[in-house]
Amino acid sequence: MKTIKAILILLSPIFVGWFALFLGAYEVTPLMVLKILLNETLHIFEIGDIPEKAIVIDIRLPRVILAGIVGACLSGAGVTLQGIFRNPLVDPFILGISAGAAFGCAITIGFLSNIPIQFMAFVFAVSAVVIAYTVARTQGEVSRLPLILSGVIVSAFFTALVSIVKFLVDPHKLQSIVYWLIGSFSLADWKAVKVSFVGVILGILPIFLMRWRLNVMSMGEEEAKALGVNVLRERVLFIGFSTLAVAVATSLCGIIGWVGLMVPHLVRMLTGPDHKTLVPLSFAAGASFMIAADTISRTLTSFDIPVGIITALTGAPFFIYLMKRSGKEAWGK
Amino acid sequence: MLNLKEVYFRHKNQTTDVLKGISFNAEKGSITTILGPNGSGKTTLFKCITGLWKYYKGEIKVDRVSIDKLSFKKRARLFSVVPQEHEPPFPYSVFDVVLMGRASYIGVFSSPSKKDYEKAETALKTVGIEHLKNIPYTKISGGERQLTLIARAIVQESPVMLLDEPISHLDFRNQINILKKIKEIALIRGITVVMTLHDPNLASLFSDKVVVINSGSKVAEGLPKEIITEDLIKRVYDIEVKKADIDGQSIICPVL
Repeated sequence: MKTIKAILILLSPIFVGWFALFLGAYEVTPLMVLKILLNETLHIFEIGDIPEKAIVIDIRLPRVILAGIVGACLSGAGVTLQGIFRNPLVDPFILGISAGAAFGCAITIGFLSNIPIQFMAFVFAVSAVVIAYTVARTQGEVSRLPLILSGVIVSAFFTALVSIVKFLVDPHKLQSIVYWLIGSFSLADWKAVKVSFVGVILGILPIFLMRWRLNVMSMGEEEAKALGVNVLRERVLFIGFSTLAVAVATSLCGIIGWVGLMVPHLVRMLTGPDHKTLVPLSFAAGASFMIAADTISRTLTSFDIPVGIITALTGAPFFIYLMKRSGKEAWGK
Repeated sequence: MLNLKEVYFRHKNQTTDVLKGISFNAEKGSITTILGPNGSGKTTLFKCITGLWKYYKGEIKVDRVSIDKLSFKKRARLFSVVPQEHEPPFPYSVFDVVLMGRASYIGVFSSPSKKDYEKAETALKTVGIEHLKNIPYTKISGGERQLTLIARAIVQESPVMLLDEPISHLDFRNQINILKKIKEIALIRGITVVMTLHDPNLASLFSDKVVVINSGSKVAEGLPKEIITEDLIKRVYDIEVKKADIDGQSIICPVL
């Protein structure tokens, strides 16, 4: 049963992605999508230069792939952070990593246009998580409530810095910062997809390889040490890789919250807490969720609603549900 | 096997020693129990042995090799630790928890191999809880958790096993069962067991050697029968007891 569920989750991005390719303002039949894709990859069909081809290959496909990769990055970072902080209520958004990355992006757009945006996003994302962690750590252990509180503080701080940037830049740049901060895939193209592979190779792949260690790390610092884990070193690695993934994602499509919190939870409920399966399934489910959310955001109305709004609308109630369900247990130590 | 020599420990920025020169030896395949009142330094001593806390003077050796500068990985191959009862944040299955004992043999960028899985299976059988394999660790009883943690310590394949109050949360039946299991493992596998207990009677029933410590110093060391006396209990715990013999087994009973 669990295996069937796991296989379905692993394959879900393909199905959701296929749906996303034929849904949209311009009608393309599902069969036509298949034909176009086969034509592109295997050159079986000759279909000529029809408008559907440009829509599927140049507009929808890169958007779907980008959404998938960003979803995998955010949910992979979420599952990693939940594991090492032993806290089912954290994600990149709550820990302030997203806000830090956003600040890095905002100052790059505003003032430092010759520095790569991903680099600045990473630098400030790392600063955010290091501050949040250091503030929350007392006597060698990090308890749940202080960590969430310090994440809130760090988030607020970097959001304020973003506001200062918004206040200081010229109106033209302000517009692009504001639009980008909400989180959207409307500017997706093949170039963005190529950049997103950096997140896959430097973030997702190492997390995938190290995933079993998360089981041991989540038992707590003292116990992991007694089991032979160099906790400090591996914690740095995990935070580094997940922050890289988030920084790349944020630099490509702005702040998209809640995915990293929701998706790992849903997967854990479906197929269990063992990180050996949880991590890859969270990647897949995160990709599917993000593709679905983005498809909703561009088909629901005649204009593109930023996808960050959709994820926040589903994420906030989900967080409340989790909080109520796990009650005291989730907030204690 | 395990030798402690004049181990001193004090907390950061403090002037009083918590451990004041503790020395004792634990022999291969035997059970050594550390007895002492709350706050006497038992847990501190354990943390020094496992390397979580650094002692500032003295020496701890396993097989004549000093453990001072060993990495966590190498240390885990010398000592397995059975912690006091705890609750992990995620409901891992009993099998997953046992498998964690293999961490020091598995590279950072890899996952457990088939051999690791087999070892975890065997350990579950050794402690007799293979029927719990797929049950969440958070849903089993205190005694079963302790057995799970002992199985995890077994897959670590370390020559020394440390148990910090392994029976403090258990009912009478489970206390006896766990201690029997520990004794069996020490005998059959030749593992050197060092544990802390609260009950002097259980300590003398199940140990080959007892080390009594009080406010950071060793008070007595030796065969339980010989050193657990009315006088010693009076000195260490400040209560009156009477010693009696039942079938050659000496027990002590508080006098009301």
